Amino acid sequence: MPPARDYYQVLGVPRNASQEEIQQAYRKLARAYHPDLNKDPDAEERFKDISEAYAVLSDPEERRRYDAFGPDFRQVSPDVDPDAFRRAGAGGRTWRSGAGRAKAGQGAGRGFGFGAGEGIDLDDLLGGMFGGLGGGLGGLGRGPVAGADQEAELEISVEEAYRGGRRTITLGGRQGTTRTLDVTIPAGVANGQRIRLAAQGGQGSDGGPAGDLYLIVRIAPHPRYRVEGRDVYMDLPLAPWEAALGTTVAVEVPSGEVKVKVPAGTSSGRRLRLPGRGLPNPRGQPGDLYAEVRIVVPARLSRDERRLFEELAKVSTFEPRSQR
Amino acid sequence: MSYALARPARLDLESFARAAGLHPDLVRRFVAAGVLDAWRDSTGALWFSPRQLATVYRIQRLRAGFALNYAALGLVIDLLDRIEALEAAMRKRPYPAEPPSPAGGRTWT
Repeated sequence: MPPARDYYQVLGVPRNASQEEIQQAYRKLARAYHPDLNKDPDAEERFKDISEAYAVLSDPEERRRYDAFGPDFRQVSPDVDPDAFRRAGAGGRTWRSGAGRAKAGQGAGRGFGFGAGEGIDLDDLLGGMFGGLGGGLGGLGRGPVAGADQEAELEISVEEAYRGGRRTITLGGRQGTTRTLDVTIPAGVANGQRIRLAAQGGQGSDGGPAGDLYLIVRIAPHPRYRVEGRDVYMDLPLAPWEAALGTTVAVEVPSGEVKVKVPAGTSSGRRLRLPGRGLPNPRGQPGDLYAEVRIVVPARLSRDERRLFEELAKVSTFEPRSQR
Repeated sequence: MSYALARPARLDLESFARAAGLHPDLVRRFVAAGVLDAWRDSTGALWFSPRQLATVYRIQRLRAGFALNYAALGLVIDLLDRIEALEAAMRKRPYPAEPPSPAGGRTWT
């Protein structure tokens, strides 16, 4: 059992916060963590904590008992008066864990009585309890509600996108626990594609089914490959003479090694298309791979190289800047 | 004897409300508020796609979490759908656009 969290800390308000401040804090947090607005799997648990904290602190009577008896206040008999308890010096405002339990009576929780407190938004109260304490709403005519769908990002390498594979992912579970899921990544997933894990999303309330968990594939940037849709781009460095004379070079690509034929007279920026060598497509044509030519020159020339280049410079009538 | 092998393609108001765990009148109010789509047949009866159940659950979660009225629910759902579509479109973009290089193009040869 994880340690009970302090409701004031959960809402981020001081212990002497007014009802208005508590409502304001709840509303802001609910907008940030409501499972339909925040699809992060961790947000659901946070929202439940927030809702539970608000359900208690927004009811003056519940709040008074919580202040006096601490997180176990529901175990304390309703007959025990918080003020009398405080006067007896059993804990006061700065309750200690267990102070409430020492006085625990026969009443196992008195349920959630909606007191006639002023300034409480009844809708908020119902909303706050919903989901977090769904069971308490049975009598109010709400049926089971399915959990929200959740989303988590799954970063994979270009190689994994080609081959597929298995991955174990860890997600936040209920009450601070974690859960691990084994996920099969199908070969040929594209950037932004969603992998659906049925019933692994948000918890339903009142016996409603759980939502689904969607893993959104993100192909991690790669030093060699750039993925656009199913097409893959890579640089193909060539020596000036290879580019001028043409050649065939062996190139390592994600699906193995391919031979790329470079036609004579190839300049930088030219894209050599290798059909079907892009990302595979489980439902159709695979993407293409484009090798983009990039002419590189030796940083230092040997004596012979320099002589030959100088000779080429003398002989050649080529004017690269007049060709535009 | 025959068995239904698949979910029916559409549900009448009663079946839909039962599946959603709601009173049919409430479902009718969702439709009238324009937050839940339904078809009307020639007799005026409402028909629903089973996929609309997910929408009903979403409506209930949002209503419970934020105490929204019907008009606000419609707005919130529309905006959430638009955000989702935009986020999906953004995710399909490969990488953030590269900053333009000082030379105005590729920096290499």
